[in-house]
Amino acid sequence: MSKEESIVKIRDLRLSYYTRRGVYHALNGVDLDIMRGEVLGVAGESGCGKSTLGLTIMGLLPRNAAIENGEVMVDGFDVVRPLREYFRRSKGKFKPTKNDDVLKKLHKAMMNIRGVKVSMVFQEPMTTLNPVMPVGYQIAEVLLQHNVSLLAKRRLARAKATREDMKAILGYLRGNDMASMMDYIKSRRLEGIEDQVMAYWRRRDLHDLVKEIRILSLCCDAVNPMLRPGLSYAARTNRLPSAPVLRQLVRHELVKEGYRKAAEYLGLLGMPEPEKVVKMYPHELSGGMRQRVVIATAMINNPELVILDEPTSALDVTIQAQILDLLKDLKQETKAAYMFISHDLSLLYQVSDRIAIMYAGKVVEVGPKDSVFKEPKHPYTQMLLEAVPTLEPHELKGIRGEVPDLRNPPKGCMFHPRCPFAMPICREKEPPTVDVGSGHKVACWLYAGGGEKK
Amino acid sequence: MARRGGLGGFWNEERKLSLQVFLSNKPAVVGLVIVLIYIADALIVQFAPWLLGLKNPYALTPNYINPIPQPPSWKYPLGTTYPGVNLLTAIIKAIRVDLGLSVAVVLPGAGLGIVIGIIATYIGGWVDDLLMRITDIFFSVPYLVLAIAVGYVLGRDITSMIIALIIVWWPLYARYTRSVTLQVRELTFIEAARAAGASNAKIMFRHILPNALPPVLVQMSMDLGTVMLVISALAFIGFLPVSNFPELGYLTTLGLNYINTAPWTILFPGIVIVIFAVSVYLLGMGLMDVINPRRRSSL
Amino acid sequence: MYYIPTLIGLTVMVFAILHAGGPYKLIAPYINPRLSGPARQEQIQMLIQKFHLNQPIYVQYFYWLWALLHGNLGYTTTPIFSGPATEALAIFFPNTAVLAIFAGVLMWIIGIPLGTWSAVRKDKPDDVAIRVFSYTLYGMPIYLLAVVLIIIFAVYLKLLPISGVVNPELTVGLSWYVNGISYPTHVLIIDAIIHGDWKLALNAFEHLILPAFTLALAAMAGVINILRASMIEVLDQDYVRFARSKGLPEGVVTKKHARPTAMFPVYTNFAYTVAGMLSGVVVVESVFDYPGIGYWLTQSMLGNDMGGIMAGTLIFGLIFVTTSLALDILFAIKDPRIRLG
Ligand SMILES: Nc1ncnc2c1ncn2[C@@H]1O[C@H](COP(=O)(O)OP(=O)(O)O)[C@@H](O)[C@H]1O
Ligand code: SF4
Ligand SMILES: [Mg+2]
Repeated sequence: MSKEESIVKIRDLRLSYYTRRGVYHALNGVDLDIMRGEVLGVAGESGCGKSTLGLTIMGLLPRNAAIENGEVMVDGFDVVRPLREYFRRSKGKFKPTKNDDVLKKLHKAMMNIRGVKVSMVFQEPMTTLNPVMPVGYQIAEVLLQHNVSLLAKRRLARAKATREDMKAILGYLRGNDMASMMDYIKSRRLEGIEDQVMAYWRRRDLHDLVKEIRILSLCCDAVNPMLRPGLSYAARTNRLPSAPVLRQLVRHELVKEGYRKAAEYLGLLGMPEPEKVVKMYPHELSGGMRQRVVIATAMINNPELVILDEPTSALDVTIQAQILDLLKDLKQETKAAYMFISHDLSLLYQVSDRIAIMYAGKVVEVGPKDSVFKEPKHPYTQMLLEAVPTLEPHELKGIRGEVPDLRNPPKGCMFHPRCPFAMPICREKEPPTVDVGSGHKVACWLYAGGGEKK
Repeated sequence: MARRGGLGGFWNEERKLSLQVFLSNKPAVVGLVIVLIYIADALIVQFAPWLLGLKNPYALTPNYINPIPQPPSWKYPLGTTYPGVNLLTAIIKAIRVDLGLSVAVVLPGAGLGIVIGIIATYIGGWVDDLLMRITDIFFSVPYLVLAIAVGYVLGRDITSMIIALIIVWWPLYARYTRSVTLQVRELTFIEAARAAGASNAKIMFRHILPNALPPVLVQMSMDLGTVMLVISALAFIGFLPVSNFPELGYLTTLGLNYINTAPWTILFPGIVIVIFAVSVYLLGMGLMDVINPRRRSSL
Repeated sequence: MYYIPTLIGLTVMVFAILHAGGPYKLIAPYINPRLSGPARQEQIQMLIQKFHLNQPIYVQYFYWLWALLHGNLGYTTTPIFSGPATEALAIFFPNTAVLAIFAGVLMWIIGIPLGTWSAVRKDKPDDVAIRVFSYTLYGMPIYLLAVVLIIIFAVYLKLLPISGVVNPELTVGLSWYVNGISYPTHVLIIDAIIHGDWKLALNAFEHLILPAFTLALAAMAGVINILRASMIEVLDQDYVRFARSKGLPEGVVTKKHARPTAMFPVYTNFAYTVAGMLSGVVVVESVFDYPGIGYWLTQSMLGNDMGGIMAGTLIFGLIFVTTSLALDILFAIKDPRIRLG
């Protein structure tokens, strides 16, 4: 898999919200790619359409969102096609209820993309979790839906593993010989045990002795013999058996396994006492803990892209720092790509590979982070960076002029009312996006036409 | 959208939006029209019965010569009910009575309840507790049963029915007013007013009440229908020992013995109630949309 | 939580209602109408003495409460029963309980799916149909609903009996069914089953269907409307979007994620539903001549029978307060936010 391959490809995306107060043009021709394995930072003032962009990739738009044009390819699947086609068909008589029908179909079509290829961490941890469901179940649900095979394998492996097996595995771990460990597991047909072993081995908050004891005690967890065929079936086919009672019993066993896996994962994310936490309800957890739960849910099934919509802005500063460290670690350990949305440029500088700057529903500048930060091209980016005194966490503010009214966005370059370099053509025509070298792109008349100034 | 000239002050953006929200709720508009028709009917019967050619507007006119219910015909568009009562005119007369009774229950009941609800929230503490416990007690007896009990004490007639229903209804309003008032009190601008040094009473009456009342008023409009249902049910089970009284529930009982042969004697008076109760409900839902900020902004 | 104070309040209220009419209204039923002159006066004095009516009012209350706690609810004289009110209760209450529970179950199993469906299919033809149905039910006086069901199912389709509890022909000569009272539970269906008379049980069940459906449909409108509204609200919540972001099927999203929270307004409003249903019982039982406490209460009302009205009010209050307590506890168990403090 080459690094240049994109997981998400957005072309000329135009989206409007239809409301009683008017039509808000929230996205006005977004062009953006997210490469596999990269961290793309997306920045911009609040209201510039960052969340809308993230939601569009997930296909989780509200019913009053009309896709007027463009495409959003997620791993080759055009998410917005049905919505775009509905908008075309509606010929100016856009009806949210009809759009909702299309969205319902989209939810179905995207079932095997969401939570498998792409997942999302939402802005507001306090309202994201279901208040009447134990958080462990909310995490495990992703696996119960998409990866029962993993859960079944884990369960069967624990039933099959002997104390000798675990001792052998522990030996390989001590010697840091992962390849041999995997070989051993394969030869003993204990697939599914490595997931659990590693979850303990990688824990930072546990003493080595505790880790070893826990790993050793993974063995000999006998499973009800009645369930064994059902579990094997689930492990083989990634589906629950269809016989009614058996299905319920196997599911019940796998739900328990799901809680276990959720607790392990939360442990990896540095949650204290994860075995207790998984049985709790959201209102018993603090904001930071809830956000960890949400992150765990988004990550547990190893998606290829995780969209993080301001994952830290609702949290207080120390928690923010913890969550950021956590995300940095996760970035090291997984191959996933991240779309990190924030209005905090210094934060993005810390975490991103590339940065996209949005203004009024358009990506005005995008490129490798050093290139964008050290040599900002777009006047808006320049003003933003001037407004950042240090690279400490800090909100975007204090730039001249007002955010445009999206019901009636300015013609030409939408930044022209606030731009110190505005030229006559800026008021007339939308600037094209040009590459100013090494993938650094900018949409501004100052650079159009081969970068020559008019 | 362009602002219409001249009326700019009145037709400001928000009012226009309110109207727009209401008008976009078609069932609510239909409800409003129907409610207006009922009100017109009541007013005409009350003040200008000759307009409809009603000779005896405040009582039913029985016809013992031909008491058996007749099916609808040109002469009697809705047929007749026992004893020979023309259903159309009977219904026209009954609308006035039922609407009048509903208003006579809802207005004082709601007024009393609102005042008590506000006192409870305003004073708070043990007064609040006590008042709420009292509403609990009133609420502990199902309303129809409570009305029967009160009717026993006061004697069963129209006045005591109204009093009974007021006694039944005020606790609902006291509780409802209290809950919306408490909600409004949590809002931030109240905090702001408090911080700005406004007195408690001023906050209560200038800031909280105007924001708490609209939902209560909507509730009142909806209850006009509910109370009409209860009144007719009471009349139906014989709460009012009257005869020739133009009331829809009573009117229904007249045809009960002809249920096999003359279903219209029951259906027509009944449908008139259903239409009214549904209309006020739809109207109330429409008004609810108008005062709901979330509904205002979305499509 | 306020169960006991509310119950005490209830007794005070019933006591006040009783005594608001003055002492003579209270003892009037006990005066032998054939007496006159001094003999009559003497009996009045004796009754006043007996009922402690010459004592301060609060003392009277405690005497009355004492009697009440000893199961002395006074006497009732109605066309359908004359005798101690407690006996009347024993006969009529089981019938009402069967009717109300059956209706409650019907309402729940029909109303909840309809409300959910209606919200999920917002503004679609089926939603519109459900709303027309529920609004019509909402606006329908319960007696009209009863009569309409009778006209349709009893008069025209002749599928179900019009009224009563059983076809009298089937009960001729039964030792355990005398004067319209069945033994030992006083609930005809159960007694018939106990005595192995399945035909009679089936017939009694047929008699139960229309009243139960009337009650259920009348109460259902509120449940459907509340559930629909709150479900629509909940479907727009962040956590529903989060559930969708996991790639769950829509059925799971609505039933497992949205509905449990959407039900809370239904639970908190359930007291009103129960109150409406108990009021409905009064009307439905008198329309169908169904021998329950509602029918007894209407008969008492028509005959100005103090004992029946008092006992009826008290028992309806007791039923309501107890069910709401039970429901409060049940629903608190369902909401972890309350359960765990
Ligand atoms: N559901 C919605 N209905 C109407 N307008 C919306 C809705 N969601 C977002 N918007 C509008 O779209 C614009 C972009 O919003 P958003 O994507 O949330 O911006 P950001 O995440 O950058 O703050 C804003 O002007 C916002 O008011
Ligand atoms: S296109 Fe013109 S107005 Fe827009 S940013 Fe560039 S110079 Fe400024
Ligand atoms: Mg946002």
